[in-house]
Amino acid sequence: MNTRQWATVFCTIILIASVSDANTESLSPLESLKGPINRIIDVLNDPAYKAPGDKEAQREKIWEIAHPIFDFLELSKRAIGKPWTRFSSTEQDRFTNVFSEFLGNTYIDKLQGEYNNETIAFEKELVKGNVALVRTTLRRPGAEIPIDYRMKKIKGAWKVYDIIVENGVSLIKNYRVQFSSILQSETPDQLIQRLEQKLNAQAAGTSQVN
Amino acid sequence: MKHCPLPLLLALIAFIGLATGCATQNKSSAARQDKTLQMPAAESSHPQEDRTLQPPAAELSNTQKDQRPQTPAAEPSNASTALTDDEEALLEDNFENWEEESAVPAIADPIEPFNRAMFTFNDKLYVWLLKPLSLGYRKIAPQPVRTGVNNFFHNLTAPVRFVNCIFQGKGQAAVAEFASFTLNTVYGVLGFGNVTKKYPELNPPPEDLGQTLGHYSIGDGFYIVWPFLGSSTLRDTIGRVGDAFLDPVNYVEPTETSIAVRGFNTVNMLSFRIEDIDAAKKAAFDPYQAARDYYIQSRQGKIKK
Repeated sequence: MNTRQWATVFCTIILIASVSDANTESLSPLESLKGPINRIIDVLNDPAYKAPGDKEAQREKIWEIAHPIFDFLELSKRAIGKPWTRFSSTEQDRFTNVFSEFLGNTYIDKLQGEYNNETIAFEKELVKGNVALVRTTLRRPGAEIPIDYRMKKIKGAWKVYDIIVENGVSLIKNYRVQFSSILQSETPDQLIQRLEQKLNAQAAGTSQVN
Repeated sequence: MKHCPLPLLLALIAFIGLATGCATQNKSSAARQDKTLQMPAAESSHPQEDRTLQPPAAELSNTQKDQRPQTPAAEPSNASTALTDDEEALLEDNFENWEEESAVPAIADPIEPFNRAMFTFNDKLYVWLLKPLSLGYRKIAPQPVRTGVNNFFHNLTAPVRFVNCIFQGKGQAAVAEFASFTLNTVYGVLGFGNVTKKYPELNPPPEDLGQTLGHYSIGDGFYIVWPFLGSSTLRDTIGRVGDAFLDPVNYVEPTETSIAVRGFNTVNMLSFRIEDIDAAKKAAFDPYQAARDYYIQSRQGKIKK
């Protein structure tokens, strides 16, 4: 084969590769967020879960949909920051698990507690390389809250690693301020225990804020 | 005060209106509200509420409409990766290097013991007084009425926003504030109705004197928690004092009435956010630190705009 033929073959391979690539990861950041969020809203509206006894089943259903949206490892790393390297790999795993469960419980609780006629408008997505920002507005009677999702392409899929509320407040930074202050005087293990205690309190329903 | 500015008159008339059962314009605002809210999430193809971003330079957005005539259509959409400066800034995650300590915005807190005491005081004020009041108020005042009250108070502080737009050289935003104020005062009946809500170009990000000072690179100073008023910084406290001269509620006489009006505004605002506040408290490990960081991050976000 001469150079030209080689070039053709090469181009064809690239083309095929990129097409199949596009097929497997065709979802844009906004799309990969919109699908699951709309499914969560459906679950929240589902009359099948209206009875108080069904709340736990509903929560599990929501968590099942919500969990894959996030990259909890990235999220946990960022919430800890520099001291992350002080965590042993078991501690890193434990923290990631307990922190994701804590976030899930806290925010699903809130969703279940007061979801009434809230709608989410997906405004736009900003993409640059493998990072993206998806801008949404949460609308409820009399209030509108801008919520932006920071996303990162991880293994071909867009995952959320931070949430920015009201045009500039990063949820993860907010936790980081609190965790770094705890870690100044406590060990990673003690921090994880604190989280576990908070989780248990949630489970026992004693974490009521009056 | 000896002089009696126009806004005071407006305020009084408005309150009489409110007390006598807030007539028609709230109904119309109610209708409008409902329409917006029944819009299913899936149909959200109108990014009309986005007050913060320049329109996308190219086909970056899934939302099609570009409603910002005032923006210079800068780059002749050369590439689908072209972002406006504002979008660049938004997308830029100065938190990219998660290992770095400096990624977290720091605020000096030399008077932390005082601040914590005030924080506790404000929290008790909320738990024991403001929250029950807001819950009760929410039961008797339907949402459209509360939205109308919110609109009214927002409209009332238009002079503050207008002047600070001017101070920051934001001519278009100043014009927008002036236009909204006029339209909402006239057609929204003293500002109870928000007739300009649907037009993002008439709703620029709200400015205040603290942001103006920040705009000119004056730093926060340090964190202060004021009793009743909550989170602030040295700079924002100065800003607040300056802005107060343009706030009609401060000219209400006697002082008791002025305070009552402000309290009413607070309860009305809280009636929309009780669950958010409670959730934030539950989600925090140290509510004081969480609130402090929330305030600083939120102010930094506002100053950038």
